[in-house]
Amino acid sequence: MTASGRAQAHQAHRADQAQRVLRLGRRSFEPGQLLVMAIVNRTPDSFFNAGETWDESAAMERVHQAIADGADIVDIGGVPAAPGQIVDVSEEIRRTAGFVAAVRSAYPDVVISSDTWRHEVAAEVCAAGADLINDSWGGWDAELPAVVAAAGAGLVCAHVGRQRPRTRPHRVSYPDVMADVLEQTRRLAARAVTAGVDESAIVIDPAHDFGKNTWHSLEVTRRLAEMVATGWPVLVSLSRKDFVGETLDLPLQDRLAGTLCASSIAAWLGARIFRAHDVVQTRQTLDMAASIKGERPPARTVRALA
Amino acid sequence: MIIAAALCPAPPLLLPGLTGAADVLPELRAACADAVRELVAAGPDLVAVVGPAETTAAWDPAARTALALYAPGLLGAGFDDAALLPVSLGVGSWLLDQGGFAGARQLRSVAGSESVGACAQVGKEIAGLPGRVALLVLADGSACRGLKAPGYFDERSAGFDAEVERALRTGDLDALLAIDPSLASELMAAGRPAWQVLAGALGGQVVASEIRYCDDPFGVAYLVASIRV
Repeated sequence: MTASGRAQAHQAHRADQAQRVLRLGRRSFEPGQLLVMAIVNRTPDSFFNAGETWDESAAMERVHQAIADGADIVDIGGVPAAPGQIVDVSEEIRRTAGFVAAVRSAYPDVVISSDTWRHEVAAEVCAAGADLINDSWGGWDAELPAVVAAAGAGLVCAHVGRQRPRTRPHRVSYPDVMADVLEQTRRLAARAVTAGVDESAIVIDPAHDFGKNTWHSLEVTRRLAEMVATGWPVLVSLSRKDFVGETLDLPLQDRLAGTLCASSIAAWLGARIFRAHDVVQTRQTLDMAASIKGERPPARTVRALA
Repeated sequence: MIIAAALCPAPPLLLPGLTGAADVLPELRAACADAVRELVAAGPDLVAVVGPAETTAAWDPAARTALALYAPGLLGAGFDDAALLPVSLGVGSWLLDQGGFAGARQLRSVAGSESVGACAQVGKEIAGLPGRVALLVLADGSACRGLKAPGYFDERSAGFDAEVERALRTGDLDALLAIDPSLASELMAAGRPAWQVLAGALGGQVVASEIRYCDDPFGVAYLVASIRV
Protein backbone atom coordinates (compact mmCIF):
# COMPACT_ATOMS: atom_id res chain seq x y z
CA MET A 1 0.00 0.00 0.00
CA THR A 2 1.29 3.46 -0.90
CA ALA A 3 1.60 6.17 1.69
CA SER A 4 -1.40 8.04 0.28
CA GLY A 5 -3.40 4.80 0.12
CA ARG A 6 -2.62 4.20 3.76
CA ALA A 7 -3.65 7.73 4.60
CA GLN A 8 -6.95 7.24 2.78
CA ALA A 9 -7.59 3.94 4.53
CA HIS A 10 -6.84 5.59 7.82
CA GLN A 11 -9.24 8.39 7.03
CA ALA A 12 -11.95 5.91 6.06
CA HIS A 13 -11.38 4.14 9.35
CA ARG A 14 -11.74 7.40 11.24
CA ALA A 15 -14.95 8.22 9.33
CA ASP A 16 -16.35 4.87 10.48
CA GLN A 17 -15.42 5.71 14.02
CA ALA A 18 -17.50 8.87 13.69
CA GLN A 19 -20.58 6.79 12.90
CA ARG A 20 -22.95 6.37 15.83
CA VAL A 21 -24.43 3.32 17.39
CA LEU A 22 -28.05 3.18 16.26
CA ARG A 23 -30.64 2.41 18.94
CA LEU A 24 -34.10 1.38 17.81
CA GLY A 25 -36.58 -0.18 20.17
CA ARG A 26 -34.86 -2.85 22.21
CA ARG A 27 -32.03 -3.25 19.72
CA SER A 28 -28.80 -1.43 19.16
CA PHE A 29 -26.70 -1.69 16.02
CA GLU A 30 -22.99 -1.04 15.57
CA PRO A 31 -21.83 1.09 12.61
CA GLY A 32 -20.54 -1.93 10.67
CA GLN A 33 -23.86 -3.78 10.78
CA LEU A 34 -25.91 -3.62 7.58
CA LEU A 35 -29.63 -3.88 8.24
CA VAL A 36 -32.44 -5.12 6.04
CA MET A 37 -35.72 -3.29 6.45
CA ALA A 38 -38.44 -5.51 4.97
CA ILE A 39 -41.36 -3.77 3.28
CA VAL A 40 -44.81 -4.88 4.43
CA ASN A 41 -47.59 -2.98 2.70
CA ARG A 42 -51.06 -2.90 4.18
CA THR A 43 -52.37 -1.50 0.91
CA PRO A 44 -54.33 -2.91 -2.01
CA ASP A 45 -52.39 -0.82 -4.55
CA SER A 46 -48.67 -0.37 -3.86
CA PHE A 47 -46.41 -0.32 -6.90
CA PHE A 48 -44.81 -3.71 -6.41
CA ASN A 49 -46.65 -6.89 -5.43
CA ALA A 50 -49.83 -4.80 -5.32
CA GLY A 51 -52.29 -6.07 -2.74
CA GLU A 52 -50.23 -9.14 -1.85
CA THR A 53 -50.26 -8.32 1.87
CA TRP A 54 -53.55 -6.38 1.96
CA ASP A 55 -55.07 -9.26 3.83
CA GLU A 56 -53.92 -9.26 7.48
CA SER A 57 -53.03 -12.92 7.60
CA ALA A 58 -51.00 -12.60 4.39
CA ALA A 59 -49.23 -9.60 5.90
CA MET A 60 -48.38 -11.53 9.07
CA GLU A 61 -47.13 -14.42 6.94
CA ARG A 62 -44.91 -11.92 5.11
CA VAL A 63 -43.53 -10.71 8.48
CA HIS A 64 -42.79 -14.28 9.60
CA GLN A 65 -40.98 -14.98 6.34
CA ALA A 66 -39.06 -11.69 6.32
CA ILE A 67 -37.76 -12.22 9.84
CA ALA A 68 -36.86 -15.83 9.09
CA ASP A 69 -35.02 -14.57 5.99
CA GLY A 70 -32.89 -12.15 7.98
CA ALA A 71 -34.78 -8.88 8.16
CA ASP A 72 -33.76 -6.68 11.10
CA ILE A 73 -36.59 -4.20 10.71
CA VAL A 74 -40.11 -4.52 9.29
CA ASP A 75 -41.53 -1.37 7.72
CA ILE A 76 -45.32 -1.33 7.79
CA GLY A 77 -47.11 1.09 5.51
CA GLY A 78 -50.77 1.83 4.87
CA VAL A 79 -50.55 4.44 2.11
CA PRO A 80 -48.87 3.97 -1.28
CA ALA A 81 -46.40 6.66 -2.35
CA ALA A 82 -48.07 7.17 -5.71
CA PRO A 83 -51.20 9.29 -6.07
CA GLY A 84 -54.45 7.36 -6.12
CA GLN A 85 -57.30 6.43 -3.85
CA ILE A 86 -57.35 8.81 -0.90
CA VAL A 87 -56.38 7.20 2.40
CA ASP A 88 -57.31 9.49 5.25
CA VAL A 89 -55.89 9.47 8.77
CA SER A 90 -58.49 7.15 10.24
CA GLU A 91 -58.21 4.69 7.37
CA GLU A 92 -54.41 4.72 7.62
CA ILE A 93 -54.64 4.02 11.35
CA ARG A 94 -57.19 1.28 10.69
CA ARG A 95 -54.83 -0.35 8.20
CA THR A 96 -51.67 -0.18 10.32
CA ALA A 97 -52.05 0.28 14.08
CA GLY A 98 -53.73 -3.02 14.88
CA PHE A 99 -51.29 -4.84 12.67
CA VAL A 100 -48.31 -3.19 14.39
CA ALA A 101 -49.71 -4.41 17.71
CA ALA A 102 -50.04 -7.94 16.33
CA VAL A 103 -46.44 -7.93 15.08
CA ARG A 104 -45.21 -6.56 18.39
CA SER A 105 -46.99 -9.29 20.26
CA ALA A 106 -45.53 -11.98 17.99
CA TYR A 107 -42.00 -10.50 18.04
CA PRO A 108 -41.15 -8.56 21.20
CA ASP A 109 -37.64 -7.67 20.00
CA VAL A 110 -37.92 -7.00 16.28
CA VAL A 111 -37.63 -3.37 15.23
CA ILE A 112 -40.98 -2.18 13.87
CA SER A 113 -40.99 0.78 11.55
CA SER A 114 -44.10 2.58 10.39
CA ASP A 115 -44.10 4.26 6.99
CA THR A 116 -46.18 7.37 7.56
CA TRP A 117 -45.85 11.14 7.30
CA ARG A 118 -48.79 11.96 9.61
CA HIS A 119 -48.35 12.72 13.31
CA GLU A 120 -51.80 11.37 14.21
CA VAL A 121 -50.86 8.01 12.70
CA ALA A 122 -47.42 8.07 14.32
CA ALA A 123 -49.00 8.51 17.75
CA GLU A 124 -51.24 5.48 17.23
CA VAL A 125 -48.63 3.13 15.79
CA CYS A 126 -46.07 4.08 18.43
CA ALA A 127 -48.66 3.32 21.11
CA ALA A 128 -49.14 -0.04 19.38
CA GLY A 129 -45.42 -0.77 19.52
CA ALA A 130 -43.65 0.89 16.59
CA ASP A 131 -40.02 1.86 17.25
CA LEU A 132 -39.30 3.99 14.20
CA ILE A 133 -41.30 6.38 12.05
CA ASN A 134 -40.21 6.25 8.42
CA ASP A 135 -41.29 9.69 7.25
CA SER A 136 -40.82 9.17 3.51
CA TRP A 137 -42.31 12.58 2.70
CA GLY A 138 -39.52 14.65 4.10
CA GLY A 139 -40.99 16.29 7.16
CA TRP A 140 -44.20 17.48 5.55
CA ASP A 141 -46.06 17.33 8.87
CA ALA A 142 -44.29 19.72 11.26
CA GLU A 143 -45.98 18.14 14.27
CA LEU A 144 -44.48 14.73 13.59
CA PRO A 145 -41.10 15.08 15.39
CA ALA A 146 -42.67 16.05 18.72
CA VAL A 147 -45.00 13.05 18.57
CA VAL A 148 -42.09 10.75 17.73
CA ALA A 149 -40.05 12.25 20.59
CA ALA A 150 -42.90 11.85 23.08
CA ALA A 151 -43.23 8.19 22.09
CA GLY A 152 -39.49 7.60 22.46
CA ALA A 153 -39.32 6.38 18.87
CA GLY A 154 -36.79 7.01 16.10
CA LEU A 155 -37.27 9.05 12.94
CA VAL A 156 -36.20 8.72 9.31
CA CYS A 157 -35.48 12.14 7.79
CA ALA A 158 -35.86 11.93 4.02
CA HIS A 159 -35.18 14.30 1.12
CA VAL A 160 -38.09 14.87 -1.22
CA GLY A 161 -37.18 18.25 -2.67
CA ARG A 162 -40.35 20.28 -2.92
CA GLN A 163 -42.83 17.43 -3.29
CA ARG A 164 -46.08 17.22 -1.41
CA PRO A 165 -47.09 13.76 -0.12
CA ARG A 166 -48.36 11.41 -2.80
CA THR A 167 -47.39 13.58 -5.75
CA ARG A 168 -45.04 12.72 -8.58
CA PRO A 169 -41.96 14.75 -9.43
CA HIS A 170 -42.43 16.72 -12.63
CA ARG A 171 -39.49 18.34 -14.43
CA VAL A 172 -37.51 18.71 -11.20
CA SER A 173 -34.07 20.23 -11.46
CA TYR A 174 -31.26 20.97 -9.02
CA PRO A 175 -28.05 22.97 -9.44
CA ASP A 176 -26.56 20.29 -7.17
CA VAL A 177 -28.94 17.55 -6.07
CA MET A 178 -26.64 16.20 -3.35
CA ALA A 179 -26.24 19.66 -1.84
CA ASP A 180 -30.04 19.85 -1.64
CA VAL A 181 -30.22 16.36 -0.11
CA LEU A 182 -27.63 17.25 2.52
CA GLU A 183 -29.27 20.55 3.37
CA GLN A 184 -32.76 19.11 3.75
CA THR A 185 -31.86 15.93 5.61
CA ARG A 186 -29.54 17.73 8.02
CA ARG A 187 -32.17 20.35 8.69
CA LEU A 188 -34.81 17.67 9.37
CA ALA A 189 -32.42 15.76 11.63
CA ALA A 190 -31.66 18.95 13.57
CA ARG A 191 -35.39 19.67 13.82
CA ALA A 192 -35.90 16.18 15.24
CA VAL A 193 -33.16 16.71 17.82
CA THR A 194 -34.73 20.02 18.81
CA ALA A 195 -38.09 18.31 19.19
CA GLY A 196 -36.48 15.84 21.56
CA VAL A 197 -35.99 12.75 19.39
CA ASP A 198 -33.13 10.60 20.69
CA GLU A 199 -30.04 11.39 18.58
CA SER A 200 -29.11 7.73 18.44
CA ALA A 201 -32.46 6.95 16.75
CA ILE A 202 -32.30 9.45 13.89
CA VAL A 203 -31.61 8.23 10.35
CA ILE A 204 -31.30 10.14 7.07
CA ASP A 205 -32.49 8.96 3.64
CA PRO A 206 -31.78 10.47 0.19
CA ALA A 207 -35.14 9.03 -0.95
CA HIS A 208 -34.40 7.72 -4.41
CA ASP A 209 -37.07 8.61 -6.99
CA PHE A 210 -38.77 11.03 -4.56
CA GLY A 211 -38.46 14.52 -6.01
CA LYS A 212 -35.84 13.15 -8.39
CA ASN A 213 -35.48 11.94 -11.93
CA THR A 214 -33.31 8.93 -12.70
CA TRP A 215 -30.19 11.03 -13.27
CA HIS A 216 -30.66 12.60 -9.83
CA SER A 217 -31.11 9.20 -8.15
CA LEU A 218 -27.96 7.89 -9.84
CA GLU A 219 -26.07 10.97 -8.66
CA VAL A 220 -27.13 10.61 -5.03
CA THR A 221 -26.12 6.94 -5.17
CA ARG A 222 -22.72 7.86 -6.64
CA ARG A 223 -22.18 10.51 -3.95
CA LEU A 224 -23.71 8.69 -0.99
CA ALA A 225 -20.47 8.99 0.99
CA GLU A 226 -21.27 12.68 1.42
CA MET A 227 -24.37 11.73 3.41
CA VAL A 228 -22.46 9.14 5.42
CA ALA A 229 -19.92 11.83 6.31
CA THR A 230 -22.62 13.76 8.18
CA GLY A 231 -22.40 11.09 10.87
CA TRP A 232 -26.11 10.30 10.71
CA PRO A 233 -26.88 6.67 9.81
CA VAL A 234 -28.02 6.49 6.18
CA LEU A 235 -31.05 4.52 5.00
CA VAL A 236 -31.54 3.78 1.30
CA SER A 237 -34.77 2.70 -0.30
CA LEU A 238 -33.83 1.34 -3.71
CA SER A 239 -35.97 -1.71 -4.16
CA ARG A 240 -37.46 -2.16 -7.65
CA LYS A 241 -37.67 1.60 -8.11
CA ASP A 242 -38.10 3.47 -11.37
CA PHE A 243 -34.51 4.72 -11.43
CA VAL A 244 -33.43 1.08 -11.65
CA GLY A 245 -36.10 0.35 -14.24
CA GLU A 246 -35.17 3.33 -16.39
CA THR A 247 -31.45 2.71 -16.11
CA LEU A 248 -31.80 -0.88 -17.28
CA ASP A 249 -34.99 -0.45 -19.32
CA LEU A 250 -36.71 -3.19 -17.34
CA PRO A 251 -40.19 -3.64 -15.86
CA LEU A 252 -40.86 -4.05 -12.12
CA GLN A 253 -40.47 -7.81 -12.02
CA ASP A 254 -37.01 -7.66 -13.62
CA ARG A 255 -35.39 -5.01 -11.42
CA LEU A 256 -33.85 -7.21 -8.74
CA ALA A 257 -30.32 -7.39 -10.15
CA GLY A 258 -30.20 -3.62 -10.60
CA THR A 259 -31.55 -3.14 -7.08
CA LEU A 260 -28.89 -5.41 -5.62
CA CYS A 261 -26.13 -3.68 -7.56
CA ALA A 262 -27.24 -0.31 -6.22
CA SER A 263 -27.48 -1.85 -2.74
CA SER A 264 -23.91 -3.15 -2.99
CA ILE A 265 -22.58 0.24 -3.97
CA ALA A 266 -24.59 2.00 -1.27
CA ALA A 267 -23.25 -0.50 1.27
CA TRP A 268 -19.70 0.09 0.08
CA LEU A 269 -20.20 3.85 0.45
CA GLY A 270 -21.49 3.47 3.99
CA ALA A 271 -25.29 3.15 3.98
CA ARG A 272 -26.52 1.12 6.96
CA ILE A 273 -30.23 0.38 6.41
CA PHE A 274 -31.64 -1.07 3.19
CA ARG A 275 -35.39 -0.98 2.66
CA ALA A 276 -36.26 -3.93 0.47
CA HIS A 277 -38.92 -6.18 -0.99
CA ASP A 278 -36.52 -9.10 -1.59
CA VAL A 279 -35.18 -9.96 1.84
CA VAL A 280 -33.17 -13.11 1.09
CA GLN A 281 -31.32 -11.58 -1.84
CA THR A 282 -30.73 -8.29 -0.05
CA ARG A 283 -29.43 -10.07 3.06
CA GLN A 284 -26.97 -12.07 0.92
CA THR A 285 -25.86 -8.96 -0.96
CA LEU A 286 -25.24 -7.02 2.24
CA ASP A 287 -23.42 -9.90 3.91
CA MET A 288 -21.16 -10.20 0.88
CA ALA A 289 -20.57 -6.45 0.80
CA ALA A 290 -19.82 -6.40 4.53
CA SER A 291 -17.28 -9.19 4.11
CA ILE A 292 -15.59 -7.40 1.22
CA LYS A 293 -15.44 -4.29 3.39
CA GLY A 294 -13.85 -6.40 6.09
CA GLU A 295 -16.61 -5.80 8.58
CA ARG A 296 -18.06 -9.30 8.60
CA PRO A 297 -16.07 -12.55 8.65
CA PRO A 298 -16.97 -14.95 5.83
CA ALA A 299 -19.36 -17.72 6.88
CA ARG A 300 -17.08 -20.69 6.24
CA THR A 301 -13.66 -20.63 4.63
CA VAL A 302 -11.77 -23.84 3.91
CA ARG A 303 -10.63 -23.27 0.36
CA ALA A 304 -6.86 -23.80 0.20
CA LEU A 305 -6.81 -23.88 3.94
CA ALA A 306 -6.99 -27.60 4.56
CA MET B 1 -44.87 41.79 -38.16
CA ILE B 2 -45.41 38.12 -37.42
CA ILE B 3 -44.85 36.07 -40.57
CA ALA B 4 -45.24 32.57 -39.09
CA ALA B 5 -45.50 30.77 -35.78
CA ALA B 6 -44.77 27.33 -34.42
CA LEU B 7 -45.89 25.66 -31.25
CA CYS B 8 -43.86 22.92 -29.53
CA PRO B 9 -43.99 21.32 -26.08
CA ALA B 10 -41.07 21.80 -23.70
CA PRO B 11 -40.45 18.67 -21.65
CA PRO B 12 -36.84 18.44 -20.44
CA LEU B 13 -36.62 15.10 -22.25
CA LEU B 14 -36.33 16.98 -25.54
CA LEU B 15 -32.94 18.35 -24.44
CA PRO B 16 -29.92 16.47 -25.79
CA GLY B 17 -28.84 13.35 -23.92
CA LEU B 18 -31.42 13.52 -21.15
CA THR B 19 -33.15 10.29 -22.11
CA GLY B 20 -29.93 8.30 -21.91
CA ALA B 21 -29.12 5.83 -24.66
CA ALA B 22 -32.70 5.55 -25.89
CA ASP B 23 -34.29 7.63 -28.60
CA VAL B 24 -37.47 8.52 -26.74
CA LEU B 25 -40.47 9.77 -28.75
CA PRO B 26 -38.74 10.04 -32.15
CA GLU B 27 -42.07 11.04 -33.72
CA LEU B 28 -42.41 13.99 -31.35
CA ARG B 29 -38.85 15.10 -32.09
CA ALA B 30 -39.47 14.80 -35.81
CA ALA B 31 -42.66 16.84 -35.53
CA CYS B 32 -40.83 19.58 -33.60
CA ALA B 33 -37.99 19.57 -36.13
CA ASP B 34 -40.47 19.87 -39.01
CA ALA B 35 -42.29 22.75 -37.31
CA VAL B 36 -39.04 24.62 -36.66
CA ARG B 37 -37.80 23.90 -40.19
CA GLU B 38 -40.95 25.46 -41.63
CA LEU B 39 -40.62 28.44 -39.30
CA VAL B 40 -37.02 29.09 -40.32
CA ALA B 41 -37.85 28.55 -44.00
CA ALA B 42 -40.23 31.52 -43.82
CA GLY B 43 -37.11 33.67 -43.78
CA PRO B 44 -37.52 35.69 -40.59
CA ASP B 45 -35.27 38.59 -39.59
CA LEU B 46 -35.83 37.53 -35.99
CA VAL B 47 -37.18 34.48 -34.18
CA ALA B 48 -38.96 35.36 -30.97
CA VAL B 49 -38.99 32.41 -28.54
CA VAL B 50 -41.63 32.49 -25.82
CA GLY B 51 -42.13 30.00 -23.01
CA PRO B 52 -43.51 29.76 -19.47
CA ALA B 53 -41.19 30.09 -16.47
CA GLU B 54 -41.22 31.30 -12.88
CA THR B 55 -40.70 34.92 -13.92
CA THR B 56 -41.54 37.21 -16.83
CA ALA B 57 -38.24 38.29 -18.30
CA ALA B 58 -36.08 38.74 -21.37
CA TRP B 59 -33.10 36.38 -21.60
CA ASP B 60 -29.71 36.41 -23.25
CA PRO B 61 -30.11 34.74 -26.66
CA ALA B 62 -26.70 33.09 -26.21
CA ALA B 63 -27.74 31.37 -22.97
CA ARG B 64 -28.75 27.72 -22.80
CA THR B 65 -30.38 25.47 -20.19
CA ALA B 66 -27.78 23.70 -18.06
CA LEU B 67 -28.24 19.99 -18.67
CA ALA B 68 -26.70 19.26 -15.27
CA LEU B 69 -29.86 20.61 -13.60
CA TYR B 70 -31.68 17.57 -14.90
CA ALA B 71 -28.90 15.09 -15.51
CA PRO B 72 -25.98 15.33 -13.10
CA GLY B 73 -23.39 12.87 -14.29
CA LEU B 74 -24.40 13.18 -17.94
CA LEU B 75 -21.18 13.33 -19.91
CA GLY B 76 -20.57 16.91 -20.95
CA ALA B 77 -23.31 18.35 -18.74
CA GLY B 78 -21.97 21.32 -16.86
CA PHE B 79 -22.60 24.87 -15.84
CA ASP B 80 -20.32 26.64 -18.29
CA ASP B 81 -23.00 28.96 -19.59
CA ALA B 82 -23.02 32.46 -18.19
CA ALA B 83 -26.81 32.52 -17.89
CA LEU B 84 -29.13 29.61 -17.30
CA LEU B 85 -32.35 29.58 -19.26
CA PRO B 86 -35.64 28.26 -17.97
CA VAL B 87 -36.26 24.88 -19.53
CA SER B 88 -39.00 26.03 -21.90
CA LEU B 89 -36.67 28.56 -23.54
CA GLY B 90 -33.82 26.06 -23.40
CA VAL B 91 -35.89 23.60 -25.41
CA GLY B 92 -36.79 26.34 -27.90
CA SER B 93 -33.16 27.38 -28.28
CA TRP B 94 -32.10 23.79 -28.74
CA LEU B 95 -34.74 23.22 -31.42
CA LEU B 96 -33.50 26.31 -33.26
CA ASP B 97 -29.90 25.12 -32.92
CA GLN B 98 -30.90 21.74 -34.28
CA GLY B 99 -32.70 23.43 -37.13
CA GLY B 100 -29.49 25.25 -38.03
CA PHE B 101 -30.97 28.69 -37.39
CA ALA B 102 -28.13 31.21 -37.06
CA GLY B 103 -30.12 34.45 -37.27
CA ALA B 104 -31.25 36.85 -34.58
CA ARG B 105 -33.25 35.55 -31.60
CA GLN B 106 -35.19 37.16 -28.82
CA LEU B 107 -36.04 35.03 -25.78
CA ARG B 108 -38.89 35.91 -23.45
CA SER B 109 -40.36 34.02 -20.53
CA VAL B 110 -43.81 34.62 -19.11
CA ALA B 111 -44.64 33.76 -15.51
CA GLY B 112 -47.38 31.28 -14.71
CA SER B 113 -48.90 33.98 -12.50
CA GLU B 114 -49.38 36.50 -15.35
CA SER B 115 -52.93 37.54 -16.16
CA VAL B 116 -54.51 36.79 -19.53
CA GLY B 117 -54.23 40.46 -20.45
CA ALA B 118 -50.56 40.68 -19.51
CA CYS B 119 -49.77 37.62 -21.62
CA ALA B 120 -51.66 39.02 -24.60
CA GLN B 121 -49.78 42.29 -24.17
CA VAL B 122 -46.44 40.45 -24.45
CA GLY B 123 -47.75 38.98 -27.68
CA LYS B 124 -48.72 42.41 -29.01
CA GLU B 125 -45.24 43.73 -28.20
CA ILE B 126 -43.65 40.88 -30.13
CA ALA B 127 -46.01 41.49 -33.06
CA GLY B 128 -44.95 45.14 -33.02
CA LEU B 129 -41.25 44.37 -33.41
CA PRO B 130 -39.71 45.69 -36.63
CA GLY B 131 -38.98 43.36 -39.53
CA ARG B 132 -40.15 39.85 -40.29
CA VAL B 133 -40.69 38.08 -36.98
CA ALA B 134 -41.23 34.35 -36.57
CA LEU B 135 -42.70 33.23 -33.26
CA LEU B 136 -41.71 29.96 -31.59
CA VAL B 137 -44.02 29.19 -28.68
CA LEU B 138 -43.17 26.52 -26.13
CA ALA B 139 -46.23 25.27 -24.31
CA ASP B 140 -47.46 22.08 -22.68
CA GLY B 141 -51.01 21.00 -22.01
CA SER B 142 -52.39 19.31 -18.94
CA ALA B 143 -50.12 17.00 -16.93
CA CYS B 144 -53.12 15.18 -15.42
CA ARG B 145 -54.15 12.93 -18.28
CA GLY B 146 -53.99 9.51 -16.67
CA LEU B 147 -53.29 7.49 -13.55
CA LYS B 148 -49.56 7.51 -14.36
CA ALA B 149 -49.48 11.22 -15.19
CA PRO B 150 -47.25 13.57 -13.17
CA GLY B 151 -50.36 15.16 -11.66
CA TYR B 152 -52.43 11.95 -11.58
CA PHE B 153 -55.76 11.75 -13.40
CA ASP B 154 -58.10 14.69 -13.60
CA GLU B 155 -61.21 14.11 -15.66
CA ARG B 156 -61.26 17.75 -16.76
CA SER B 157 -57.96 17.44 -18.58
CA ALA B 158 -59.31 15.77 -21.73
CA GLY B 159 -61.84 18.52 -22.42
CA PHE B 160 -59.31 21.21 -21.54
CA ASP B 161 -56.67 19.95 -23.95
CA ALA B 162 -59.23 19.21 -26.65
CA GLU B 163 -60.29 22.86 -26.61
CA VAL B 164 -56.68 24.02 -27.01
CA GLU B 165 -56.24 21.59 -29.88
CA ARG B 166 -59.47 22.78 -31.51
CA ALA B 167 -58.44 26.43 -31.25
CA LEU B 168 -55.12 25.72 -32.92
CA ARG B 169 -56.51 23.36 -35.56
CA THR B 170 -59.22 25.77 -36.65
CA GLY B 171 -57.07 28.89 -36.33
CA ASP B 172 -59.44 30.31 -33.71
CA LEU B 173 -56.58 31.71 -31.62
CA ASP B 174 -58.81 34.13 -29.74
CA ALA B 175 -60.29 31.09 -28.03
CA LEU B 176 -56.96 30.65 -26.26
CA LEU B 177 -57.64 33.90 -24.41
CA ALA B 178 -60.65 32.26 -22.81
CA ILE B 179 -58.54 29.66 -21.02
CA ASP B 180 -58.97 30.09 -17.28
CA PRO B 181 -55.56 30.51 -15.59
CA SER B 182 -56.68 28.85 -12.37
CA LEU B 183 -58.08 25.80 -14.16
CA ALA B 184 -54.87 25.57 -16.20
CA SER B 185 -52.90 25.70 -12.98
CA GLU B 186 -55.00 22.98 -11.36
CA LEU B 187 -54.42 20.77 -14.40
CA MET B 188 -50.68 21.59 -14.39
CA ALA B 189 -50.99 22.96 -17.92
CA ALA B 190 -47.80 25.00 -17.86
CA GLY B 191 -48.32 26.31 -21.39
CA ARG B 192 -51.26 28.58 -20.58
CA PRO B 193 -49.39 31.92 -20.53
CA ALA B 194 -47.48 31.04 -23.70
CA TRP B 195 -50.69 30.14 -25.58
CA GLN B 196 -52.07 33.51 -24.59
CA VAL B 197 -48.93 35.29 -25.82
CA LEU B 198 -49.53 33.53 -29.15
CA ALA B 199 -53.12 34.71 -29.18
CA GLY B 200 -52.02 38.24 -28.34
CA ALA B 201 -49.52 38.21 -31.19
CA LEU B 202 -51.88 36.79 -33.82
CA GLY B 203 -55.37 37.07 -32.38
CA GLY B 204 -57.96 38.48 -34.69
CA GLN B 205 -56.11 37.33 -37.78
CA VAL B 206 -57.33 34.43 -39.83
CA VAL B 207 -54.59 31.83 -39.68
CA ALA B 208 -54.14 28.45 -41.27
CA SER B 209 -52.54 25.73 -39.23
CA GLU B 210 -51.29 22.20 -39.26
CA ILE B 211 -51.30 19.97 -36.19
CA ARG B 212 -48.14 17.89 -36.47
CA TYR B 213 -48.36 15.96 -33.19
CA CYS B 214 -51.03 15.65 -30.54
CA ASP B 215 -50.62 12.97 -27.90
CA ASP B 216 -49.91 12.38 -24.21
CA PRO B 217 -47.42 9.50 -24.05
CA PHE B 218 -46.38 10.28 -20.45
CA GLY B 219 -49.61 11.78 -19.20
CA VAL B 220 -48.71 15.32 -20.33
CA ALA B 221 -50.47 16.75 -23.38
CA TYR B 222 -47.94 17.56 -26.10
CA LEU B 223 -49.01 19.55 -29.13
CA VAL B 224 -46.87 20.49 -32.12
CA ALA B 225 -48.36 22.90 -34.66
CA SER B 226 -47.34 25.13 -37.52
CA ILE B 227 -49.29 28.35 -37.90
CA ARG B 228 -49.30 30.12 -41.24
CA VAL B 229 -50.21 33.78 -41.24
